[in-house]
Amino acid sequence: MISRKSIEKLDLLLLILETIDLNGIQSLYALSNTLNLNNVLPNKVTIWKLRNNNPLRKSYVTNNIKLKEFDALIRITVEMSKYLYPYIREILKSKEDIEKNSVIWNDFNTRFIELINERFNIDSMRVKKLLNQSENDEIIIKSLLILSFCISNQGYQKLKNFLYDF
Amino acid sequence: MIQNKLLFHQSSVSLEIIGLPDYSNNENKDQISIISEWKLTIVDKPLIEGKFEHLGPIMNAFYIYSNLLIKNETPIYESKLIDIKADNLHIHNIVLKSSKPNVNPLNIKIGNTSLTDTINCFDQLNESPKVRIKKTVGPNYIPKKGRFGLNNKVKFLNFIMPPFIAIFSLILCSSTFIYFYDPVEDKESELINTE
Repeated sequence: MISRKSIEKLDLLLLILETIDLNGIQSLYALSNTLNLNNVLPNKVTIWKLRNNNPLRKSYVTNNIKLKEFDALIRITVEMSKYLYPYIREILKSKEDIEKNSVIWNDFNTRFIELINERFNIDSMRVKKLLNQSENDEIIIKSLLILSFCISNQGYQKLKNFLYDF
Repeated sequence: MIQNKLLFHQSSVSLEIIGLPDYSNNENKDQISIISEWKLTIVDKPLIEGKFEHLGPIMNAFYIYSNLLIKNETPIYESKLIDIKADNLHIHNIVLKSSKPNVNPLNIKIGNTSLTDTINCFDQLNESPKVRIKKTVGPNYIPKKGRFGLNNKVKFLNFIMPPFIAIFSLILCSSTFIYFYDPVEDKESELINTE
């Protein structure tokens, strides 16, 4: 059985990827086709439904996400991280020397907060922490690091280990 | 003999592996199994180089440190050869200690981007079919608490052992109090009752 914590972590990573790619939902669906995951993720609605297993979401429902569905989401996360690595890198870089590139970080953070406001239950204390621009730095940076550590061929296994908290 | 060179690139970092194939194992001439030297170049930082015996510990240090970093544990790694600790959320302090006497340790500060690039270079090396290295930790290093999770054999034993031990100890304890029916004793007690 997939723990709520694992789903929470994975959905947050997908949200980070969506923050970078403005057309994120379409890209995720396109990648599921590329990876031949159509039988598990036949359409965008299925992806949305699965992600709604995240208890932090406004539209949270317990669908009891299956292992193969969770694995499929991990695969598209890893694949999308590979494509978006140059952008992920640029965002991380912008935080290293904030005076030079603060625009990139601020844009990213603003859009991240917009998405959180739109989709997550803002009454939750944990979501409030994600919304606070001075507090969410650590969560965002760690999420970006996780994504950038998983771009190799063994990325799927790496991310899986992380999500299952091995 | 001409040595083979392999280069692994990732944005600001490149890793060069120099060595020879193991001809006794019938390997191709472009393979590297006997690593004689390696060089890790991080843009704007001093060159890090060493012999084969240093490569494994340094790769392990980076993998373990990166795992600690993302798992919300204290990101500190210390060993005889290398120390890595986080200065803050964005900068990591690396201290490389030379095995030669009278050589001062080399201090390098790298950002998150250089760290991820380095890890990705090591991943490329691990995945390369052209280099054979003895892996000690590897990219899928799993810190302490999770080691049982992946090993199916251990998982199965963890599942089966507790009830087995419980049942076994129950049988062992109860066998000490086992009552064997003794007809003579029964007859005696019957006689006492009638009296």
